[in-house]
Amino acid sequence: MHRRTLLGATAMLALPRLARAASFPDGPITLIVAWPAGGGSDVSMRLVAEAASKRLGVPVVVENRPGAAGTIGHRAIAAARPDGQTIGMVSQDAISAQYGNANAPAMSEFEPLAFFGEEPGALQVHPSTGITTLAQYIERAKANPGKIRNGGNPAPGASYLYMAYYERKLGIRVTKVSYAGYAPTVTALLSGEVDSASVPVPDVVEYHKEGRLKLLAVAGEERHFMAPDVPTFRELGHDVVIGGWRSLAAPVGVPADRLAVLRRELFAAFRDPELQAKARQAGFVMSPGDAARTAAAWAESDTGVYPILDELGLVKARRKQG
Amino acid sequence: MQDLLGNLAMGFGVALSLQNIGLCFIGCALGTAIGVLPGIGPLPTVALLLPFTFSLDPTGALIMLAGVFYGAQYGGSTTAILARLPGETSSVVTCLDGYAMALKGQAGTALALAAIGSLLAGMVTTLLIAAAGPPLADIALLFHSADYVSVMVLGLISAVVMAHGSVLKALLMILLGLLLGSVGTDVATGEYRFTLGLDMLADGIGFVPISMGLFGLAEIMINLENRGGRGVIAKAVGSLWPPLAVLRQALPAMLRGTAIGAGFGIMPGGGPTIASFSAYSLEKKMAAQPARFGHGAVEGVAAPEAANNAATQSCFIPMLCLGIPPNALMALMVGAMMVHGIQPGPSIITKQPELFWGMIASMAVGNIILVILNLPLIGIWVRLLQVPYAYLFPAIIVFCAVGTYTVDNSTGDVVLMAVFGVLGYVFRKLDCEPAPLMLGLVLGPLLEENFRRAMVLADGDVTIFVTRPISLGFLLAAAALLAAVLLPSIRRGRQEAFRE
Repeated sequence: MHRRTLLGATAMLALPRLARAASFPDGPITLIVAWPAGGGSDVSMRLVAEAASKRLGVPVVVENRPGAAGTIGHRAIAAARPDGQTIGMVSQDAISAQYGNANAPAMSEFEPLAFFGEEPGALQVHPSTGITTLAQYIERAKANPGKIRNGGNPAPGASYLYMAYYERKLGIRVTKVSYAGYAPTVTALLSGEVDSASVPVPDVVEYHKEGRLKLLAVAGEERHFMAPDVPTFRELGHDVVIGGWRSLAAPVGVPADRLAVLRRELFAAFRDPELQAKARQAGFVMSPGDAARTAAAWAESDTGVYPILDELGLVKARRKQG
Repeated sequence: MQDLLGNLAMGFGVALSLQNIGLCFIGCALGTAIGVLPGIGPLPTVALLLPFTFSLDPTGALIMLAGVFYGAQYGGSTTAILARLPGETSSVVTCLDGYAMALKGQAGTALALAAIGSLLAGMVTTLLIAAAGPPLADIALLFHSADYVSVMVLGLISAVVMAHGSVLKALLMILLGLLLGSVGTDVATGEYRFTLGLDMLADGIGFVPISMGLFGLAEIMINLENRGGRGVIAKAVGSLWPPLAVLRQALPAMLRGTAIGAGFGIMPGGGPTIASFSAYSLEKKMAAQPARFGHGAVEGVAAPEAANNAATQSCFIPMLCLGIPPNALMALMVGAMMVHGIQPGPSIITKQPELFWGMIASMAVGNIILVILNLPLIGIWVRLLQVPYAYLFPAIIVFCAVGTYTVDNSTGDVVLMAVFGVLGYVFRKLDCEPAPLMLGLVLGPLLEENFRRAMVLADGDVTIFVTRPISLGFLLAAAALLAAVLLPSIRRGRQEAFRE
């Protein structure tokens, strides 16, 4: 008797939900972030969640699912029920991960929604090296191959790839030393344990201003707004543009009408001046884009990163033919 | 000196504003709560609170987040003492003598000692940051990978000292911990090791499921076996306020613990865990009757609790003065600053003096709030020990399961906890101390990462560990410590041999 009443009550509670299923979004939207709370991805996505919930009219809740270089969180996005109530952040790392780990979801398991922005790579040195320009850095590296020690993520993390890319483009070779994230990398550079590092501008800009380290170049299309005195690689005559990017994605299989709502509203949320101001204050370069821009960024990144990963022996799954 | 007083006055002006006292109180209360609850640590809590601080001014936000962090150190000792459940890695050692005291009906004394030790350490360290923060911060920049390796070696050796009973068993437990710590993603190549194809193990075996299993669940099983699930942990609760004689015994230990904690907190990679283990080992080595340790020695609670709180506070020095986070939690604080548009770096002191001195002053305020908050609670906590096992044990198991699950929202971790519960029971039957294993597990990955990096940087030249003065110093200390442990047993062995 007791149990039947309970079941009845649950059924009655469920009814209005079914009836309203046509309206979307129906209840809170979960935004999965495959990185730990407090990091750049988390901070940027919490700002996004705030702006997106205003547009969508329902709470957007950030859920951190860190682990295995993003694989656990990326899998959670790809494997979520394709009803549009679960979306997630997909970044550069998802591209690398699909080749390094057979358990990681392929990019084809994601549906592009909107493009948040790019964070260009950079190159900085410790003052004790005596190097003050990119030209000197290249000269030193060419004269002593493998002698310059560069700090960065373990392969195939972002700052590792940046350095590997610089090496290819500039025709140099350095010794790459791994640190578990940007903070320890910067510490090591400040202490002089490594000679240079390849971490993005926001993490080093204050030390650059203090003269504790020197930013040599930024790998963006244009100069970074936080360090306007630092030239781009292109200005210095080297065609080096590389960076990480962040975008939003849904699992494949979300009904087209819901996908359209998400794409429209999230793109609108990204263009919200208030969000842009907050993001800028926190050091993010936002360049909002729609679903087509997102898909293009994914494809472009794939073509750029794959040969580097292949050369490093990091393609262990989904090898491309030819 | 004039400057210092002026700066501190400004700091207290900021910290004592009604809003900031309120935020400090909220942070401390939350910190105490999550410290008491097993599993939920300060890291996820600060992460969850972060978005709520977007609307606050940066100083208030950081005051509250810092309160959560050091508040958790106060709360973390509570379950360690009452139920042999270390809420944080840094309270693992407190389990040893704290729980032993609880079994003897001295839970109140143990809790009060932990609170007083934490207060003393907190106040002394706050003064230290205010007086000598910036020059001390530069110490963090003297450390290279090779030096970290030697610090970790010293930390691991100290775990041998602290274990009571067989030195061999303690060494083996450390090695087992190091082996368990090698599960996960290889730091240098990104290759998966011993993960059995499970993504869950890709980041290694978590601290929380292991400590809940080895300590909490194993203790419950042992209790059920010994007493058949009837009765209560401690019949007599005893006085809550420690007698003067006990305080006099504990005070020097607290001061030594504070000194050790403050030192380890400044070093990157050091932090509260190594500090508490080292403080405990030092006390045991200095004691006239080391055999008391593990059976409710007062110093065994006072020293590590002072050390972990001192380390918690002194790790703010490199973060505030240089913008360098020595651990994951400080990295989160740096993230919080960046959200508020403050770029971390040495310019914080000059550009944001209100924030810098306000935070330092708030630590003094916070420590006082915590003691006011915690001392009256002791009476309530102690009464928990009189809850019959039949109700207490299921409640603890539920808490452990929920706490373990919430860390990564992973049911796999709950299974892992159960497995380690059984292992913990086996270890107890074999008289193997789980604390050294925990230290091996926590330090193993760091040791490996830094060792391999040191080798890359030195082109494989192992003499780097003895040619760098800092590294050599720590290695000599480790050797001396090991000799001090081994010599008596060797001598005893020889005496026995002579007798035959």
